[in-house]
Amino acid sequence: MALMRKKGGRASGEIPTSSMADIAFLLLVFFLVTTVFDEERGLPIVLPEQGEEQEVSQRNVLHLTVLEDGTVEVKRGESPTVQRVSARDVAGIWRLGFQQNPNLIAAVKTAPNAPYRNMVAVLDQLQTAGAERISLQILE
Amino acid sequence: MLTGGLKRKSKAASEIPSSSLADMAFLLLIFFMVSTTFRQEEPREVEFPEAQATQKLDEPRKNILHLYVESDGSIYINDRQTPPAEVSNVIAPIYADSDRRLVVVLRADRDVPYRYVDAVQKELQEAGAYRVTFYTNLAQRVTRERR
Repeated sequence: MALMRKKGGRASGEIPTSSMADIAFLLLVFFLVTTVFDEERGLPIVLPEQGEEQEVSQRNVLHLTVLEDGTVEVKRGESPTVQRVSARDVAGIWRLGFQQNPNLIAAVKTAPNAPYRNMVAVLDQLQTAGAERISLQILE
Repeated sequence: MLTGGLKRKSKAASEIPSSSLADMAFLLLIFFMVSTTFRQEEPREVEFPEAQATQKLDEPRKNILHLYVESDGSIYINDRQTPPAEVSNVIAPIYADSDRRLVVVLRADRDVPYRYVDAVQKELQEAGAYRVTFYTNLAQRVTRERR
């Protein structure tokens, strides 16, 4: 009695592969979730050609001197008055100046030891305000 | 086979056959494995500045070159550290190869002194690569304080 074996229990010899679909989907979901698209972004600018120093009338220049502490000194053309502002105010200053003079060029001079983000903040303000003629230089 | 005249009633299978599920899954997996492109260069330890005017750059990948400037001023192009004076020598042939369409994405650390970035700019001008993008993270719009 104890030795009676069910006829149906033939050892099949195969490994059950029913969970293969599960594993495949798990891997798939893993890749779907972890894939990151590396997009290029930033503030685009076109550098002037070397030696292409155009003579511009001082009347059309807005001097912006970026200092180490993040403040900006604003000087309009040949006017001797220098206004010290924070980087956040540059967009407004540009808009005003551009309204009065559509030929305005922003000359950004950055102090050599100023952190890069100070210059980026000013460039950001200018591009937010729609400035297209921007010159980036180092403060000698 | 002798069944003694008794036929076994087969139970109607009410399941959708899912045997092809594995096939589909593997097909999709192979698709992703084949279409994934890997980074060409090592990621660098650089913290980028933020800017509200950050724009997306719509340029085919082959026309883009990453130029890293780390916070200590060291410059990396294509995983090779390049001294500042050599930058134009490295960039000029790449620029020529790209049919003058090269865009240099300047990935500089937010705290690097500006003189390093200026040196790179001058080298890029010398190499003739005029299209430059300063890589930034998008800053959230700062709400105006009510005065």
